[in-house]
Amino acid sequence: MRVTEGMKYSQVLRNLGNITSQHAEASQEASTGIRVNKPSDDPIAAAQIARLRANSSQTDAHLNTINTVRGDAELTEATLASATDIFARLKELAVQGANGNNSAEDRKTMSVEVAGLKEALIQLGNTRGNRGYLFSGSQVKTPAFDGNGVFQGDDVEQLVPIGNSTPTSVSTSGSQAFVVAGGRNVFADVDALVTALSTNDQLGIQASVDDIGASHAQLVDAQARSGLVLSKLDASQSVLDSVDTEQQKAAQAAGAADPYESYTRFTSLGQSLERAIAVSKQILDLGGQNRF
Amino acid sequence: MGSLTSLLYTARDSLTAQSYGLNVTGQNITNVNTPGYVRRDPLLETRALGTATTGSVVATGLRRATDIYIERRELSALGTSSAASEHDSQLAGVEALFNDLSGTGMGSALDNLFSSFSALASNPNDPTTRAAVLGAAGAFADRANALANALSDSKNELLKQAQETAAQINEKANSISELNRRIVAAEAQGQDAADLKDQRNSVLLDLGKLVDIRTIPDDKGSIIVQASGTSLVDGTDVRPISVDLNADGSLKILSNRGSTSTEITQFLSGGKLAGIKEARDVDIFDVASKLDKLVFDVGTAINTQHAAGFGADGGTGRNLFDLGPTVDGAGRAIRLGAAVAGNPAAVAAAADPASVPGGTGNAVALANIWKTPLSDGRTASESYGDLVGGIGQRKSAVAQAVETQNAIKEQIQAMREAMSGVSLDEEMVSLTKYQRAYEAAGRVLSTVDELMQDLINRVGR
Repeated sequence: MRVTEGMKYSQVLRNLGNITSQHAEASQEASTGIRVNKPSDDPIAAAQIARLRANSSQTDAHLNTINTVRGDAELTEATLASATDIFARLKELAVQGANGNNSAEDRKTMSVEVAGLKEALIQLGNTRGNRGYLFSGSQVKTPAFDGNGVFQGDDVEQLVPIGNSTPTSVSTSGSQAFVVAGGRNVFADVDALVTALSTNDQLGIQASVDDIGASHAQLVDAQARSGLVLSKLDASQSVLDSVDTEQQKAAQAAGAADPYESYTRFTSLGQSLERAIAVSKQILDLGGQNRF
Repeated sequence: MGSLTSLLYTARDSLTAQSYGLNVTGQNITNVNTPGYVRRDPLLETRALGTATTGSVVATGLRRATDIYIERRELSALGTSSAASEHDSQLAGVEALFNDLSGTGMGSALDNLFSSFSALASNPNDPTTRAAVLGAAGAFADRANALANALSDSKNELLKQAQETAAQINEKANSISELNRRIVAAEAQGQDAADLKDQRNSVLLDLGKLVDIRTIPDDKGSIIVQASGTSLVDGTDVRPISVDLNADGSLKILSNRGSTSTEITQFLSGGKLAGIKEARDVDIFDVASKLDKLVFDVGTAINTQHAAGFGADGGTGRNLFDLGPTVDGAGRAIRLGAAVAGNPAAVAAAADPASVPGGTGNAVALANIWKTPLSDGRTASESYGDLVGGIGQRKSAVAQAVETQNAIKEQIQAMREAMSGVSLDEEMVSLTKYQRAYEAAGRVLSTVDELMQDLINRVGR
C-alpha cells in the first residue's frame, strides 16, 4: 500500500482529534462527577432522572404542605388544651357551688367568674390560624361562634394531599368540639351553670356538675383527635423525608459518574494523549528535515 | 546505423523527456496538499522514426492515477457521512431545548404547577397562594410557548438552509457543466485536461457533501452527474434543484427542467440536504407533535377539573388555561386563561359553592392530576420523561451513525489517497531519477561533442 503525505496528515489529525475530544469529555466527567450532562449521554438515565426529579418535586410539595398546615394543627391542639383547662376550672367551680355552705352572694361571685370563662371559651373557639378561623370548617373568614356561642361555620374538613392514597383531613371540626354535633353544646352547659349560680339554684348547680363534666369529656376527645392529626403529619413527614432523600440519591446516582472509574479513564486518556502527541511529532518529523 | 548527429538528437530528446519528468514531479510536489489533486505519472515511450531504430525517447503526456470506482464510493460515503453530521448537529439544537439537566426544558415548570395546587390546598384562603397558582400556570404556558416556538423557528430556519443548500448545489452543478465544456474542448484539440479534471474533482467532492451524487463518465471527457438518482448535470445541461413545501409543511425537493418539475424527495439519500430533511421532517415534527399532545392533555385535564371547582368569589366553570381547539399547535396556543388571569380569587380551590372560601376539595383533585394517567396511559411527568428520553435516544443513535459513517468515509479516503495521493518520498526518488538521467544525457551530449571536436581537429590538420 502506498503511504502518501495526505494519509499521514489526516491520520495524525484524526487520532489527535479523537483522543483530545475523549480527554476533554473525561476531564469534564472527572471534575464535575456528572456523567449525564445531556439526554443523549444516556437516554435511559436521562428519562429516569426526569421521572425521579418529578417525583422528588412532588414529595417536596407534600413536605411543604405539611409544614404549612402543621402550624394550624398545633395551634388547634393548644387551643383545645386551653379549653379543657377552662373546663377543669369550671368543674371545680360547679362542685364548689353545689356545696350547701355557699351563700347566694358567694354563688353570684362564682357566676361572674363562670361568665368570664365562657367569654374566654368563645374567644378560644374563634382562634385564628394561618388559614383563618380554625374552627369554622370551610368558612375560614367567618368567626366560628357569635357572642352567644352560636356556631356559624360548617363541618367541611380541610383536605390536603400529603402523599397518602387519599387526601388527609388536617382540620378539627368546631361543631364537634364545641356544639351539638359532638353531643353537647358546651356553651349552653356553661350558660346553665351561670344561670343556676346567679339564681342560687342548688339543684340546678348539682345538675350542671354532670353536664360540665360531659362537656369537658367532649373537649378532651376533640383535643385527642387534633393530637392525632399532628401525629399523622409527623408520620407522613418522616416517611416523606426518607422518600425524598432516596429519590434525590437515586436521581443523582442515575446521572453520576463513578469517581474511581472516571479518574482512571481521565488519567489513562491523558497518557494516551501524550503518547499520541509524541508519535505524531515523530511521524511529521520523519523525512521532513533530512529527506535525502 | 546511427550517426554522431543522430546521437546528438537522441541526447536532445532525452534532455527534453527527463526535464518533462522533472516538471511533472515538480507539479506533484507542488500540489501535495491541493484538495482534489490527482498524482500524475509522466508517460515516456521510445520514439520510432520510420523503420530505423534510433532508440530515442519521447514524453507522450501524463497519466492521472485515478480509479473511478473508488471515486464513486468516496462520493457516496461523503454524502452519507455529511447527512449524518448535519442531522446530528440539528438534533443537538433540539436536545439543548429540552435539557432539564442544565435547566432548560419544561420539567420543572410542570412540577411547579402541580406543587402550586398542593400549596393551594394547604391554605386556600391566602391570596398569595392563589396568585402563586396563577404564576405557576402562567410560567408553564410560557415555557410551552417558548419550546413550541423554538421548534417552529427551527423548522423555518431549516427550510431556509435547505433552500440555500439547493442554491449551492445548483452553483456547483453550473461549475461542473462549465468544466465539462472546457474539458471536452481541450481534449478535442488534443490538449491535456488534467488540471481541469482535478478542478472538477474538487467541485464534485464539495457537491457530494451537499447531496448524494453518482458520476458516469463519457468517452469525450465529460461526466454525467446524478443527484438523488436524477440527472443534475448531463454534459453542459444543468437541471437545477429547488426546495418547496408540501401541504403538511414537510420539505419537497424538485428537479427542474425548463418549466417541468419532477419531485425527487423520496430518492434523496445523502448529503447535507438529506440531513436537514431528516432532522426537520422526522425529528422536529415528531418532538413538536409530542409536545403539543402533552400540553393539550395536561391543559385539558387541568381545565376540566378547574372548571368543576369554585373560586373564592364563588364563580365556577372557568378554565385555568386557554387552549387552542386542536391538539395540533397546542404548545404555541396555550395561555393563562383570560377568565382567571390577574384574578387570584378565580382559582377554584373549593369543590362546592358551600365550602367557599376554605374548601380544598378541588385543589386536592387538581394536585392529584399529577399522578393520574392522561390519554396515552402515562402521567404528565412520565410522558415528559418519555419525550426527553426519546430525543436523547435519537440523538445518541445519530451520533453513533456519524462515527460509523466517518470511519467508512475515512477508510475510503485512505484508499483514494493510496491510489491518487502524492507521496513526497516517491517524488524525491523520481526527482533523483530524472535528475541523474538528465545529467547522463548531458554527458552523452558532451561526449558526442568531444568526438566531433576530435574529428574536426583531425580533418583540419
